[in-house]
Amino acid sequence: AQEVTLRLHHFLPAQSAVPSQILDVWADRVEAESDGRIEVQRFPAMQLGGTPPELIDQAIDGIADVVWTVVGYTPGRFPSTEVFELPFFVEDARAASYAFWKLHEERMAESEFADVEILGTWVHGPGMFHTDTPVRAPSDLDGMKIRGGSRLVNELLTRVGAEPVGMPVPAVPEALSKGVIDGTTIPWEVTSSLRIPELVEHHTEFEGPGLYTLTFVLAMNKARYESLPEDLQAVVDANSRLDFSVFAGGTQAAADAPAREMAVEAGNEIVTLSAEETQVWIDRAQPVYDSWIAGMEEDGKDGQALIDAARALMEEYHDSYDGAY
Amino acid sequence: MQRIHRIVHGFARVMAMLGGLVLSATILVTVASILGGQTALGPIPGEEELVQAGMAFAIFAFLPLCQITAGHATVDIFTNWLTGRAFRLLRAATEALFAAVLVVIAVQLEEGMQARLRSGQTTFLLQFPVWWSYAASLVGAVAAAAVGVWTAAARAWELWTNHDLIETGDGAAE
Amino acid sequence: MSDLAIGIWSFPVLLLLIFARVPIGLAMFVTGFGGLWLVMNGPFMAMARLKTEAYTTFSNYSLTIVPMFLLMGYFATLGGMSQALFRAAEGFLGHRRGGVAMAAVGACAGFGAICGSSLATAATMSRVALPELKRYGYSGGFSTATLAAGGTLGILIPPSVVLVIYAILTEQNIAKLFLAAVVPGLLAAAGYMTAISIYVRLNPDAAGVRAPIPWAERLRALAAVWPVLLVFVAVVGGIYGGIFTPTQAAAVGAFGTGLIALANGGLTVRTLGESFTATAKSTAMIFFIVLGAGFYNGFLALTQVPQELSRAVVEQGFSPWMVLIAILCLYLLFGCLMDSLSMILLTVPIFFPVISALDFGMPAEHVAIWFGILVLIVVEVGLITPPVGLNLFIINNMDRETPMAATYRAVLVFVGSDILRVALLVAFPAITLFLLPD
Ligand code: NA
Ligand code: NA
Repeated sequence: AQEVTLRLHHFLPAQSAVPSQILDVWADRVEAESDGRIEVQRFPAMQLGGTPPELIDQAIDGIADVVWTVVGYTPGRFPSTEVFELPFFVEDARAASYAFWKLHEERMAESEFADVEILGTWVHGPGMFHTDTPVRAPSDLDGMKIRGGSRLVNELLTRVGAEPVGMPVPAVPEALSKGVIDGTTIPWEVTSSLRIPELVEHHTEFEGPGLYTLTFVLAMNKARYESLPEDLQAVVDANSRLDFSVFAGGTQAAADAPAREMAVEAGNEIVTLSAEETQVWIDRAQPVYDSWIAGMEEDGKDGQALIDAARALMEEYHDSYDGAY
Repeated sequence: MQRIHRIVHGFARVMAMLGGLVLSATILVTVASILGGQTALGPIPGEEELVQAGMAFAIFAFLPLCQITAGHATVDIFTNWLTGRAFRLLRAATEALFAAVLVVIAVQLEEGMQARLRSGQTTFLLQFPVWWSYAASLVGAVAAAAVGVWTAAARAWELWTNHDLIETGDGAAE
Repeated sequence: MSDLAIGIWSFPVLLLLIFARVPIGLAMFVTGFGGLWLVMNGPFMAMARLKTEAYTTFSNYSLTIVPMFLLMGYFATLGGMSQALFRAAEGFLGHRRGGVAMAAVGACAGFGAICGSSLATAATMSRVALPELKRYGYSGGFSTATLAAGGTLGILIPPSVVLVIYAILTEQNIAKLFLAAVVPGLLAAAGYMTAISIYVRLNPDAAGVRAPIPWAERLRALAAVWPVLLVFVAVVGGIYGGIFTPTQAAAVGAFGTGLIALANGGLTVRTLGESFTATAKSTAMIFFIVLGAGFYNGFLALTQVPQELSRAVVEQGFSPWMVLIAILCLYLLFGCLMDSLSMILLTVPIFFPVISALDFGMPAEHVAIWFGILVLIVVEVGLITPPVGLNLFIINNMDRETPMAATYRAVLVFVGSDILRVALLVAFPAITLFLLPD
């Protein structure tokens, strides 16, 4: 019989990719493997109230038992996670999600995420430009208002010559249609639900590592997690953590291809910059690394070590990971 | 009693004026940002964050005046028949409840501010600490709670003496 | 008691509080607070929500248009602009029976084309039209009801905040939704004017009459509208020309009207102070209701009442049209108690997949857009249905002499016109869809 009800809260409509292909899978498995002793009530689209940046506090304060959130919505609170937002750093979302989980266990669980129980950590597929006018070189961005999704992405946009505009994802279509912004950065996967191919005609992607990625966590109220009977806690653990993180990152990246296909069908122009063409961008973005490392140092953290560790773990994924969810 | 009431009422008006000035400032910032965007100067960075922080303060600062002038919307169909003491009792009870709620809001807002102070959360673009905005709003929230408590006391006094103290407000029922 | 039962019992409790003259916002707040306490066996969740919820509600960027447009309304009045708009409409319509009320509706429609908020439209036009309606002998309840209904044009005529939210939730094209809303919005204005002429025939005492104005004077009144046109072009041109967001447009509107009022000598230190205090009272009232509604709706969602209720409606196995009508009726019912945005956020994610799965004999996109416009209208009806209708509260609040009950009675004719319009749009989807490109 049902003993525990977990309330899962997030900001996307129930039918969009992350809730239906990742969160529901997680919740269904937890319910099934607990033989129905755990029920996961799902509250999409901020139904329990509040705004997306508050989700992590809702998990910490117990307003929701479990939340899914974008870490970048709360700049300054989880600085170590920003390593995966660095420009041209992540090529494979699965490898980065693997590295994110390992780094979380090693360096973040007891510090930045000490107030909450993290059940999964992942990143989305490569971020890129979707713009009114073609963008091949940084100079094409001169004077263009581009929406960025996190503190670091906004800094990157400034460095490559664009004018960053901060707004949550749901506000992007209206801003694009009204011309309030000239383009946006997001991965392919998000473009289909926001109808971006109808609103812009040009897309710029990069060979090799992507322009940036954003990080996500599935987070649970700590007291609630600790109060679970041991066997139920084991069920939650077995369906969360490393393998789940890799699965989530992989699922999100896999949703890129069909979304890209929609833009192709719409007759839009898709530019894929070669490694050589991308180098100009990488050079322009370099100061982001420098200022990030300097900022971490002010916080008493070794940013370079984090970068190196993340790189090593992404290698390790390719060499040795063979888990499955 | 009347003298204190006039002082509290004056204080509520001052808060409303402050809120109005901040509201005007957010309008000017927005317009300046638009004009800047049309010229070489460029828009004001983080205009939206300034507007949000300013607006939160303004709304909290508007609450005391609404409180002390009975400006909140009510439904009066079912209480029209109440007169004299019974009506005063109902009003005093409601106002006491309102005061309690405003106090709780202020106290919890302070908690929220402390949490943001500890977490170091900043805004996206200007990257100023979010707790600054909370602190500004807290000024208005504390004022609202204080004026709310006074208004409740005044209603209790009205019940006790059976005399009007608070001007007939703009509330829907009046 | 189960969570669901607690949620269901909260309805009578909320009504009881509201009828006991507890301010609406406070009533929703304490019902939500108490409900959360019961569901969670303690106050901690309600307390935890308050750490951020009051601040985030009051700092919501989309909601900042409310005080800006309110202030703009006072400036416009000081600058003689809302009067000019109303007077021009009044010049052409005022001598008809119920004509001044019709003019108010016409002026609301004009204002709605630059404003995405019902509350702001209702509040702004009331400043201008209420005194005029009174002057020409229109009864209090009829006047307030007319303006409350006229105010809904602010959101029925695009641009519209509610449609943007719907577009995002259902992954539909915003521009197409705006386009689809145009004819139903104009129909709404025409419907309200018809409702007025019927009401004054049934209640001849509710409206005064006056002689027609000479044509020269009407044209002069029309010419006096130029500052309105100037702001209108700047604001609307700015939004559609892609220069600013709705909030920026509100700021430009407030700034522009402020300048014009200053030039006309209407804006002085004293009137500025009066504008601030008036804006303060209305804004505080509106935002406290929004805060209370958010608190109560969060509690309701937690108890799963809206979810269970919708499921029960769907599981009856009716025909697609029956399900659609049942859903729209449910919205009307909920609209008696809840605010439109929360209602949309709560129920569209549940109803939309159901509607999409049904066969109405037209393409999926058309069904989605058609349903969106229908939902827009039924949730806006909620703004003027007793007992909880935000527009009713706001307008009634501006008119000390009129009891709420009088407003409630008079607004029913407008609610009737809304329901007729919904029936028309349900029966003939082409009215909504014919403007759409193939
Ligand atoms: Na509108
Ligand atoms: Na209603």
